[in-house]
Amino acid sequence: MAPSTAELAIDARRLCRRFGDVQAVDGVDLRVRPGGVFGLLGPDGAGKSTLIRMLATVLTPNSGDALIFGDSVVHAHRRITPRIGYMSQRFSMYLDLSVSENLEFFARIRGVPAALRRARSASLLESMELAEFSDRQAQFLSGGMKQKLMLASTLMHEPDLLLLDEPTTGVDPLSRLEFWRIIADLRAAEKTILVATPYMDEAERCTDIAFMDAGHIPHTGTPAEVKSLVPGTLFEVAAPDPRAALAAVCSASGVTSAHLYGDVVRVLSAPGGPDARELLTHMNAVGIHATDVQPADVDMEAAFAYLAEQAGDAA
Amino acid sequence: MNWKHVRLLIWKEFLQLRRDPILLALLLILPVLQLVMLGYVVGADVKHLSTAVVDLDRTVTSRRLAESFASSGYYDITQRPAKESDLRPLLDRGDVKVALVIPEGTESRVSAGEAAPVGIVVDGSDSRTASVGSGYASQLIAVFNAKRIAEQGISIAGPGIDARVRVEYNPSLRAVNSMVPSLLATILLLTMSSVMSQAVVGERERGTLELMFVTPISRGEYLVGKLTPYILIGVVQMSLTALVGRTWFGVPFHGQLWVAVLGLFLFMLTTVALGLFISLVSHTRQQAQQVVIFIMLPFFVLSGFIFPVASMPTVLQVVTYAIPLRYAIEILRGTFIQGAGARELIWQLLALAGFSVVMLTLALFSFHKRLSD
Repeated sequence: MAPSTAELAIDARRLCRRFGDVQAVDGVDLRVRPGGVFGLLGPDGAGKSTLIRMLATVLTPNSGDALIFGDSVVHAHRRITPRIGYMSQRFSMYLDLSVSENLEFFARIRGVPAALRRARSASLLESMELAEFSDRQAQFLSGGMKQKLMLASTLMHEPDLLLLDEPTTGVDPLSRLEFWRIIADLRAAEKTILVATPYMDEAERCTDIAFMDAGHIPHTGTPAEVKSLVPGTLFEVAAPDPRAALAAVCSASGVTSAHLYGDVVRVLSAPGGPDARELLTHMNAVGIHATDVQPADVDMEAAFAYLAEQAGDAA
Repeated sequence: MNWKHVRLLIWKEFLQLRRDPILLALLLILPVLQLVMLGYVVGADVKHLSTAVVDLDRTVTSRRLAESFASSGYYDITQRPAKESDLRPLLDRGDVKVALVIPEGTESRVSAGEAAPVGIVVDGSDSRTASVGSGYASQLIAVFNAKRIAEQGISIAGPGIDARVRVEYNPSLRAVNSMVPSLLATILLLTMSSVMSQAVVGERERGTLELMFVTPISRGEYLVGKLTPYILIGVVQMSLTALVGRTWFGVPFHGQLWVAVLGLFLFMLTTVALGLFISLVSHTRQQAQQVVIFIMLPFFVLSGFIFPVASMPTVLQVVTYAIPLRYAIEILRGTFIQGAGARELIWQLLALAGFSVVMLTLALFSFHKRLSD
């Protein structure tokens, strides 16, 4: 049963935003229940940032509306901003202020009382392992530390909803892991988190995901639900010449799609389509040597490739 | 308007200024250096002009006339050619800038009470040297005549003559006195508008402006918080340059002090608001800087800072009414030199008040709290 509007953290309806000739967000419907980590997945230029900026009330939609905890981003942004924490894709703290000064400034501006400011900044810096850098100017922090400072700053006023725009882009793998650990802690603290990411592997860490492509969100669901949208079986074909192998499998009947994935070819076989042996036979028939064909689990990467193609065909 | 927000923004701005010693130097030390440097340039004394004297009279009078030139300090007599035709090569080579030709029979004419013409030749290739050189010369001769008349006992030389001549005597002093007050306003315009033009667009570029929109800060609070620190710095800068102008250059002040202070303050407000407006409508810091440079030139040329407004074509004279710097210069020159007060300068004060209100209003309206791009 669909939850009523007031119970939803985010309820976007036919949200649109255009920049010149580019329709960045094109009629997006999105419902996010409170609690949980909602992943907004999509390639660069899919419209993720534009959507998040509209939800954060820093960008006005051209049409449509979104309700954040029941309040309209178009008409009631003053009621929304105290309840959200928005972390933009670009580092946007004051570079010439120190870690603690940045935290102090943004918390004071949001009216966090002095005692709470001290307690929260101490515990946030501690948990994010930034405490020893609290006097360092933001411009001298590493990429990962900058992202943690931004996140800490958005948490100072204890928002109920966090809107994180690609917080792990350009961050080293270790810091990425650490960042997701912090997000897991926030989820345990019953925050609602909407996180945009171009990394498909991060989708597995989300409770729900939405695929965004070319301004549309064609599918949402749990990771398992989204993967189950992919019909048929996935095979990985290893071949000395992957490009020739790709061309060869595309000509086989019953193959829905095929992509290069690293140095193997991923082949999606439709239900009732060719199995591993039949694929090998087909490739031998057209004179392409394949060393191995193995069935593989459908992961987010494969699911996204398939769903984006479907959306493209439908359009 | 929540003053706690404004105070917090001001605190943040000063914290950042403290971390940027170059910007602080640009706002407080450089203006003083500029004033000293430009003050010397625009008000430099034209002294020790190399001079040739062609004395064809060879009398006591002619020698005394030449001597009065030499002792004035403005002319160094370096050449004494025997005939007038020798002058030309000296002037051509630039060996001398000025020549004094005393014709034969000068003394006898003077004694007979006739007019005695003497020739003054000036190198006109440098108009400033030329005008100063010829100006001094005619004054020197006037003094020389006055002395002669006094010595001969024909007492028409009243006690006031000497003093009047002295004031007229030193046009270079006059240049400093009118240029330093104008420089106070010009330097304020240069520094404050260019620094202010970076203030908001810089935050826009770095993304901190967007972050400001998810806080309870209103656009009015943000603008007041941005403007106040720079207004305070502007006041300090004004005080510093005015103090240096008075003490270093010894520029006198004859008018009403509060009129000068109010005029300069209103002009500073206009300047800061202009910079803020440019910052709000620009998309990048570079663009803002270019707009400032583009605006500065007409400000300088059409304000009467260098070229007198009265000598401009009528069409351009009308345009000068739209240049705030014009009113600031009129107020400062008026109060410093002419001893003017509120009564004489009320229109200039009102014009500057109008400009500052219009610029601030423009800034407020051009500032969309919620970004549209």
